[in-house]
Amino acid sequence: MKHGGRGFGLASLIFIGALLVAFVSGALAGGKEIKVGIIDCYSGPPAVYAKDALNGFKLALKEINKKGVLGRKIVFTTRDTKFKVDIGLSMAKELVMREGVDVLVGTISSGVALAVSDFARKEKVPFIVWISKSERITGELGHRYVFCTSENTAMAGKAMAVGLSKKPYTKYWIAGDDYEYGHAIARAAWRNLQKMKPGVKKIGESWWKVGEPDLIPYLTAIMAAKPDAVIFCTGGKSMANILKAIKATGMAKKVAICIHTATDHAVLKALGPEAPEGVMGTMDYHFYFPETPENKAFVKAFKAAYGEPPGFPAFHGWNTAHFIAKAFEKAGTVNTEKFIDALEGLRIMSPVGEIEMRACDHQVVEPMFLGVTKKSPKYNFLIASDIVTLPGPEIMPSCEEIMALRAKAKK
Amino acid sequence: MSVDLASVLTQLLVGLSRSMILFIVSAGMSFILGVLRVPNVAHGSLYMIGAFSAFSVYNYFGGGSTGFWLALLLAPFLVALVGFVAERALFCHLYQREHLMLLLFTFALMLILGDLVKIVWGPEYSSIMPPGGLKGSISIFGSAFPKYNLFLLVVGPLVAVFLWLFTNRTKVGKICRAAAVDREMVGALGINVSWIFAAAFVLGCYLAGIAGALVAPTVSITLGMDHDIIIEAFLIVTIGGLGNMWGALVGSLIFGITQALGVLFWPQFAIVFPYAAVVIVLLLRPRGLLKSVW
Repeated sequence: MKHGGRGFGLASLIFIGALLVAFVSGALAGGKEIKVGIIDCYSGPPAVYAKDALNGFKLALKEINKKGVLGRKIVFTTRDTKFKVDIGLSMAKELVMREGVDVLVGTISSGVALAVSDFARKEKVPFIVWISKSERITGELGHRYVFCTSENTAMAGKAMAVGLSKKPYTKYWIAGDDYEYGHAIARAAWRNLQKMKPGVKKIGESWWKVGEPDLIPYLTAIMAAKPDAVIFCTGGKSMANILKAIKATGMAKKVAICIHTATDHAVLKALGPEAPEGVMGTMDYHFYFPETPENKAFVKAFKAAYGEPPGFPAFHGWNTAHFIAKAFEKAGTVNTEKFIDALEGLRIMSPVGEIEMRACDHQVVEPMFLGVTKKSPKYNFLIASDIVTLPGPEIMPSCEEIMALRAKAKK
Repeated sequence: MSVDLASVLTQLLVGLSRSMILFIVSAGMSFILGVLRVPNVAHGSLYMIGAFSAFSVYNYFGGGSTGFWLALLLAPFLVALVGFVAERALFCHLYQREHLMLLLFTFALMLILGDLVKIVWGPEYSSIMPPGGLKGSISIFGSAFPKYNLFLLVVGPLVAVFLWLFTNRTKVGKICRAAAVDREMVGALGINVSWIFAAAFVLGCYLAGIAGALVAPTVSITLGMDHDIIIEAFLIVTIGGLGNMWGALVGSLIFGITQALGVLFWPQFAIVFPYAAVVIVLLLRPRGLLKSVW
């Protein structure tokens, strides 16, 4: 009896001691760094974008951590969402509860982004969305704890509408991936196009499952209906498939085509000289345009670090890192509420010029570029040509519109 | 929506070319099912490996036309090799065991192969291009029809003919058919049934490999290809008649054509059509359209 009692006492003492050490070291470790938790899709086609964003983020951190922020380094950890909402959500929970991150960052799937945004609101952890483009993220489902450094479907839709309204097309077909992003782009583009050019008619719509491998039957069906122009609302998973199918059917020569992110370097590079020419696309970043000193420096550093030029995700990743660093500096302390207050209305110098994190809805205000795919003698992939720049304030929905949407959603 | 006959015919052709790929995959699966009496759940993974191998061979030989033709030639052998190794090293020890074990094993193999592909080729998608002569489209019935799909329409029947010749004119093929119907009798005749199973499995894998290599230029080669195709192959084999290769052909035609026509007439619900067709077939003929082997 005595033997057992003595053993028990010793064991519990060691146990309590270990707990104390763990807590103390945990607190100390927390004090040394600013922790960013990145959830993104690192499997399948979207992984190209996720990796690009991570590379842009890491490049910015290399610079930022030379001086540090408030005497600390910014560190990060990543989790793979596999483009699934339930996995993304559980990863976000793990990052907040087990890793104790200060800021959540991610992701590419709009579905995952919305779910994590809801979680972030409940847990009061700031979440910066860097690739997902659904306008609902900072629109009707926006709140204090979510920010977006990516252009969203409202901006892209308006940019596409601005470009298309100047063309003589009246009969439109709309097709795309059957999920949040696809439908959001379709709604935004059509809504704005109708406002700018009231004579346009939608003669049909087609929707396929995300990642559908064989898009040729859809394209031949659309061409049979003989529209003047088609707006494709494809996301990361289907972008390569749709461009390949367009090339195989020669569709771009017969019908005008407009796709958001069609001129994105990540996709055009993968397809090489086989990508279709003559496809219109809207993008918020090209490494070859505009040729500002900031962009040239960014591209040079990125190429040196990763062997290839940056795509739009890298651009967002880089901006996100700088927004985080500058916001903490301005806040003066690692406190969530002060960080958010500092981030609202914050301006940073990005590779395409000064951009602002709009205070009313936490959406980044940045320019969009409308171009057409074309073969280039300089590179062995296609680039966007005849680029038209649309300044940020022109393509943003107004703060009043956003607040009205949010009020309606709450009812 | 108003569609003219020309568009319907074009769409039909597009659906047929898709059916050819489905047929090659399902035929392989049906063959394995007939002889080994096991639905090979890993069949989709083998198809995926076929596509990725085609990509590697394509790039090894510098891309372009040579790359493509060599990929089409060599990738199926690679997949057949994978199948052979899996069969001899692991499967054959389970033949004496309960039927369920083999099924579970193919499921495990699917998961393992899926991750193996991720390790070897990475999670990003890859792409290969059709060879020079098959790029672009030609005008059929006034609409654009990709030349590569025309190629598929030729290859599909060729594979069907080859399979028919194999199972009806070669000794091994005939023994396989016999083993599918009554393996005990075949064993009683002094033929090593285990090697017959190996031959059948390897042939099935070879077919999956061909299908993967053929489909590679038309899609982005990515993880997840296995899940997409295995469901379709399963359904096709079921509605066609278990183990029946002509059944696989019929099933693939139904699947491909309903999908293509569905896209033409009701694009919002196009995804549902092939599955609705499957339900209808199974309601009318639960044992499959053609005679099943067992």
